Amino acid sequence: MADGNDLVLERTLDAPVELVWEAYTDPEHMKRWFAPQPYEITEMELDLRPGGIFRMRMVGPDGFDTGHGAPGCVLEVIEGQKLVWTSALGPGFRPNNMGVGCEAFPFTAVVTFSDAGDGKTAYKAVALHKDEADRNTHANMGFQDGWGTVARQLEEYARNLSVRA
Amino acid sequence: MLNDSPNLNRAFQALADPVRRGMLARLSRGPASVSQLAEPFSISLPAVLQHLKALEESGLVRSEKKGRVRTVRLEPETLSAAESWIAERRSEWEAQLDRFENYLQSLKNSGEKNG
Repeated sequence: MADGNDLVLERTLDAPVELVWEAYTDPEHMKRWFAPQPYEITEMELDLRPGGIFRMRMVGPDGFDTGHGAPGCVLEVIEGQKLVWTSALGPGFRPNNMGVGCEAFPFTAVVTFSDAGDGKTAYKAVALHKDEADRNTHANMGFQDGWGTVARQLEEYARNLSVRA
Repeated sequence: MLNDSPNLNRAFQALADPVRRGMLARLSRGPASVSQLAEPFSISLPAVLQHLKALEESGLVRSEKKGRVRTVRLEPETLSAAESWIAERRSEWEAQLDRFENYLQSLKNSGEKNG
């Protein structure tokens, strides 16, 4: 189960699990939904085997460009059921240098899919972090964690402003 | 994507105080006079006026004096800006899943057409 260092997102998707898996793991499909507009994924690599590469390039307005970025590493694949990958390692399990932005902290994503009946799929994503600080950094980047975190963030944000003022 | 405008800064600063949040909660039910706003709090009138000044400067409320009575009302637009900022923070991963769902739907539809 998730502890205080994790972030969890669950949803029932209205599509059969085979289709969900394909759209979630095929790089050509992923390019179509991964980035928020006006950002765009121009390159995407996902090699579905342990040690395989997981890399993307995101470009956006004002010259925003992640470049080739630090690629992540696929850890576990059970077709149609489970995908585990990490930003801590690169392809072939070689440890990564932690960079900036999305690459500033290591995390491992455990994504599971199961048949929810009626042509629907139960989706669950858990992001594992080494500590609460990393978890919060990730949460601040927008990982949904309910209203509690949002309220806490607001409070912290407001407190920092009061200190600055 | 971070909206760091001075207005938003002032709004969150104003929201950081429990007395001011209490006043906003009262005003969300409708306009009120200064004395009505002060009523639930055991603080001095100058302190109340100080809080009101902070709220007005943040753009969260505006007030109008008629005769001897100053009436304070909510400025929903400023509150909406603060709300949007929070919603954006909350929703990127959710939004990504929304996009994924929409994409799945489009795949399903094109599959039906072809099949």
